Amino acid sequence: MTMTPTAAKPIAADERVGQRNPLQKLLGRPEVGALVGAVVLFIFFASVSQTFIQPNAFATVLYGSSTIGIMAVGVSLLMIGGEFDLSTGVAVISSALTASLFSWYFTTNVWVGVILALAVSLGIGLINGWILVKTKLPSFIVTLASFLMLTGLNLGLTRLIGGSVSSPSISNMDGFDSAQAVFASSVSIGGVDVKITVFIWIALVAVASWILLRTRVGNWIFAVGGDANAARAVGVPVTKTKIGLFMAVGFCGWILGMHNLFAFDSVQSGEGVGNEFLYIIAAVIGGCLLTGGYGSAVGGAIGAFIFGMANKGIVYAQWNPDWFKFFLGLMLLLATIVNLIVKRRAELK
Amino acid sequence: MAKFSWRTAAVVAAVVPLVALSACSSQGGKPADSGGGAAAGQVASTDRIKIALITHAPPGDTFWDTVRKGAEEAAAKDNVELLYTSDAEAGRQAQLIQQAVDQKVDGIAVTLATPDALKDSLKKATEAGIPIVSLNAGESVSKQLGAFTHFGSNEKLAGEAVGERLAAENFKHPICVIQAQGHVGLEARCAGVKAKVPGTEILYVNGADMTSVESTATAKLQASKDADVIIGLGAPITLTLIKSVSTAGSSAKVASFDLNKELAQKIADGGVLFTVDQQPWLQGYGAIDAIWQNKRGGFTIGGGQSVLTGPAIIDKANATDVLKFAEQGIR
Amino acid sequence: MNAQQIDQQTLLKDEKDPLTHTPVHLLSLENVGKHYGNIIALRDVTMAVDNGRVTCVLGDNGAGKSTLIKIIAGLHQHDEGTLHVMGDARKFSSPREALDAGIATVYQDLAVVPLMPIWRNFFLGSELTSGFGPFKSMDVQKMKDITKKELADMGIDLRDVEQPIGQLSGGERQCVAIARAVYFGAKVLILDEPTAALGVKQSGVVLRYILQARDRGLGVIFITHNPHHAFPVGDRFLLLKRGKSIGYYDKKDITLDELTAQMAGGAELAELAHELEQLGGHSDALEEVKAEVAGVADAAPESPSKKH
Repeated sequence: MTMTPTAAKPIAADERVGQRNPLQKLLGRPEVGALVGAVVLFIFFASVSQTFIQPNAFATVLYGSSTIGIMAVGVSLLMIGGEFDLSTGVAVISSALTASLFSWYFTTNVWVGVILALAVSLGIGLINGWILVKTKLPSFIVTLASFLMLTGLNLGLTRLIGGSVSSPSISNMDGFDSAQAVFASSVSIGGVDVKITVFIWIALVAVASWILLRTRVGNWIFAVGGDANAARAVGVPVTKTKIGLFMAVGFCGWILGMHNLFAFDSVQSGEGVGNEFLYIIAAVIGGCLLTGGYGSAVGGAIGAFIFGMANKGIVYAQWNPDWFKFFLGLMLLLATIVNLIVKRRAELK
Repeated sequence: MAKFSWRTAAVVAAVVPLVALSACSSQGGKPADSGGGAAAGQVASTDRIKIALITHAPPGDTFWDTVRKGAEEAAAKDNVELLYTSDAEAGRQAQLIQQAVDQKVDGIAVTLATPDALKDSLKKATEAGIPIVSLNAGESVSKQLGAFTHFGSNEKLAGEAVGERLAAENFKHPICVIQAQGHVGLEARCAGVKAKVPGTEILYVNGADMTSVESTATAKLQASKDADVIIGLGAPITLTLIKSVSTAGSSAKVASFDLNKELAQKIADGGVLFTVDQQPWLQGYGAIDAIWQNKRGGFTIGGGQSVLTGPAIIDKANATDVLKFAEQGIR
Repeated sequence: MNAQQIDQQTLLKDEKDPLTHTPVHLLSLENVGKHYGNIIALRDVTMAVDNGRVTCVLGDNGAGKSTLIKIIAGLHQHDEGTLHVMGDARKFSSPREALDAGIATVYQDLAVVPLMPIWRNFFLGSELTSGFGPFKSMDVQKMKDITKKELADMGIDLRDVEQPIGQLSGGERQCVAIARAVYFGAKVLILDEPTAALGVKQSGVVLRYILQARDRGLGVIFITHNPHHAFPVGDRFLLLKRGKSIGYYDKKDITLDELTAQMAGGAELAELAHELEQLGGHSDALEEVKAEVAGVADAAPESPSKKH
């Protein structure tokens, strides 16, 4: 092996491995595959549809992305922590139903219901996580069970309390306007109305990224997902971390649930089924490993953005929507393969 | 975020009821007395019979709630024990029919959304001498599958009624929003609209996610500037479309199928042009009552034809009248 | 058997350890046992660890070595006997508790989280933070610097502490884990088969780190099945077989050959030689085994040797 001139420095660099240049470092990031996909998709839809790049239309795309993205933040963290949650779709609706039915039935200020819904959402996460760590069953089974139970509770309790399968409208109750301003208003930026969920989404991504990269809890999340036994052996509170992650997902579900409630006044008790997969898809497209220990919150956000662009882009491009699901599946496959290739390349160099 | 403190939980648990007591809403909420129910009237003196109502309703659909209320009211009046079951999946709906036959019910009211899948089970019911009435879906195959009458509205006719009305009001470019891709009845409604207004476009949305309904419809309205009316095929969907129209800043009007309390209010207020109601309460009530009549005196209503429960158009002119019934959940 | 077994009493009375100023051991086990249901994983094990000393635990697969370290590391609790740390009887209910008592464990296979960067692994579970309340964040730069310095002190030169630890060689990973334990002020360092999956050179490197840790005053428990690795670095040797102690020796009382003989069991080696001979062709291997058998026969003349 020939020595390069740089090897003459006081501390000799290992000659077997060259310095990784910044580009390679960038390629080693989990979300890079998704980022490439997002850029390609954006250019593609921008070129086939004039409407797509207009500010108003783009605000709609962002709104569509944010309603997936808010949940994808929590789900990404959970997946990095090595678990996933199938109950997220209906848990969102459970939260919304709790808030609306409680404040309607007891005729309270809607904020009381909102706070109670937060407690319920965190409680669902707590129970999911607690059962998981106590029984050591796979999260697939535990959250599938809670998915079914919540679906049933949503339907059953809504009919029992509200007398119908959709929650009664609470739009004329005290506190509704202020709650709507917090969870379901629009902000005008240069004449374009942008939904508040977009800002909540961005804020959540920022907080989650900070937690993941800059706090010890973030370190623990990577560790429990990467190797729970190793993490436990060095003193990481694995149980608490996992339960905390499920509760973080619950928190995101609460935000989205409140948006659902205050944007549409009432909630259909049968809604939400199937959405859990969209959140997981967003996280996976964004580079989170299904097996845990790898990924980023930003990746999940890009995944949600890709989903939002594809979903709305097909409408702007005036395509036959029969094929949407097929393209979604194809995109998921391509994104994961790109991720895999990029990751292997980056690690080999 | 990841830490959980039992102390915090205890505080929350203690504070919430306190806040709840001190933070009552000055308006809205549950009415103090929700009014007389269905069971208040007189009950028929005939022997108690058992009737199964088996639908293809997906869980949590307001429409079927109303059908069920109609059926329950008929059952209460006719001294009938009502067995309500539903499954959106065809194979399992067939099993439900089979179970009803096994339970030796005195009559079966059934929706025929997937006639081929239900054929064999219904044959067994016929062989067991159980009278059958079909409702809602399956008008064309009703007689063939052994039902002596059918209560429902023809989806295509309903769609055409909407189309005619739109054409009369000079709308050229409607968007028909289907919330479940591949649903026969919903596709027929939009096809009916399109038969009368050729400029009709179809938009598919995910009915399980209202935020997605809103944003997708917004996107469509932004893309199709010349759209002049957008049609929701269910009351909750329509209510969401109203928001899409305002978000997109579109000048399109809103029309609808089906009805609920909030939609009736919107029509009365002028936010929605009109809706076509197939009067689901009547379908449930009629189906159960027809079986009772059949038991009582061998009557067959409809004279071998189906009994149409719609289309009934509700617009600003009659919305306030309908509203008070919608508030009781029967319209 | 000419190797003289030591027991707790003789150790307590006679030991003159320059680093141990108190008559209590840093860590000691008396008649410790553990069973899982009706399966006895470990019974009647007695051993001690002192500052600046290496206690080697030797045994074949299934001898009970991992059960033993799990008890000391707090992953399992013993059912019989007592575990003393600095003279206090303890029973650890979690690895965290054991860590707080100064017992750090470096596992063979689960020492680290492969996908995480080296510096994150180094500080995992004991991250440095700055700020207060909910805004406490990790002091990333400081953690990276410390990682780099600590590893350099141990003689490990890494280019980039950001690289996933899974990209390091097995020996390097062990060294990171050892450096980590030393940095975090471990008093007792348990090394679980650190050389098992390594080549000759890498093993040598790891053995050197064991000595370094010892020289820093740590009590080291070195688990291995290789007497050639254990003998040069060990001060005491505990031999386990089928969950039982079959010998506990001080270094001055035993030779490498004796240790090897005890480990392998002369009879079994003789049988292997016999089999190889019958198969034929493996002359090199045969010579080697025969030499071993001769060594065993010399070291332990009382052990029954088979004729062949």
